[in-house]
Amino acid sequence: MERAPLGDAADSILAARAADGDLRAFEVLVRRHGPLMRAYATRILGSNSDSDDVVQETFITAWERLPELQDPAATKAWLMRITSRKAIDRIRARKQDQPLGEWDAPAPESESPHQRAEAASQRERLTRALGTLSEAQRQCWTLREIGGHSYAEIAEELDLPPSTVRGLLARARQKLMQEMEEWR
Amino acid sequence: MAMTSRHDDDADNDLLEQLSEIMDRGESPTDAFLNRAPENRIAFDALTRFRAMAKNILDDDVASEPERDDSWVTGILSNIHREARAGRSIPVSHPSPKADLSLTEGAVRGLIRSAGDAVAGTFIGHCRLEGDVATPGSPVTVNVEASMFWGERMPQTAQQLREAITTSLLHHTELNIVAVNVTITDVHLRRNPKDEDRSAPNG
Repeated sequence: MERAPLGDAADSILAARAADGDLRAFEVLVRRHGPLMRAYATRILGSNSDSDDVVQETFITAWERLPELQDPAATKAWLMRITSRKAIDRIRARKQDQPLGEWDAPAPESESPHQRAEAASQRERLTRALGTLSEAQRQCWTLREIGGHSYAEIAEELDLPPSTVRGLLARARQKLMQEMEEWR
Repeated sequence: MAMTSRHDDDADNDLLEQLSEIMDRGESPTDAFLNRAPENRIAFDALTRFRAMAKNILDDDVASEPERDDSWVTGILSNIHREARAGRSIPVSHPSPKADLSLTEGAVRGLIRSAGDAVAGTFIGHCRLEGDVATPGSPVTVNVEASMFWGERMPQTAQQLREAITTSLLHHTELNIVAVNVTITDVHLRRNPKDEDRSAPNG
């Protein structure tokens, strides 16, 4: 009899097994989703210096909460959501309890045309354009456009009034538009 | 697009917000709206492009990451508290009355998964032991969820799973298993090309 590798199993099966205590199944989930979670954490944090820690904390929390996961088929979305929470917690800790709205610090100056020309790929260009946003703008944009969160969810996660989130997103979009369109 | 002059900012923001809200609802702006002013169409095209980019950016980030060693995985796994899932304690008889031997429910679930996974093309998902496992001889029902390889015949596969699990539990435990219920909750395809060789249900 041929035993199929666990890597063939769907998330729903792996999450159910991990909830029952199967560490091997959990390991498959870690390998399958860890890299994307790390990329997401990096985008929210603005650098990868803490993203490994965020991913590790996320998986530790996930292991503990797996038995409560209602829909094991939605494991990936669930993991991504924990990732964004952990990343935001980390930023909050960094800011030492400053309300998030107050660190909407002035963004760096726009890049020179020369710097822009160096960015070859679309991804690099977008990354550079995102680098010109304030932290709060970048976060709102990342949670909205990459994470797919609603305005209300972002307001809750960041502990900001919805009107502030709306304003931050509008400014983020406008700034990105300026940065991206100039070399179009 | 010229969005640099101060007094235009509010109008630009309104336009972007209006368009974003339409797109957030999964809709497209009307042609009438897009044709009303050139900046409407420019803004819509740009937002559409950014969304497409944002959607792919994490995958692109992952693809551009250099190959990493396995330490991040082992780091995570070593911080997991496995004991949390041990479950109930199941007594095991021993010739010496002084010996107190037991098996955890978690270990029994491990046996069930191992037996079930050995049936070609199946994976066990959740499994539950129902009954008073702490009292020797009391009737215990096993409920398992399973995924089977696409194309296998469900009744035969379920029967094989029941037999494999029953045999394993008879061999390794003293539980009085009265029933093994199998629910097929998923159907999977093979992902691993090495496993393309089709193994017959009876192995």
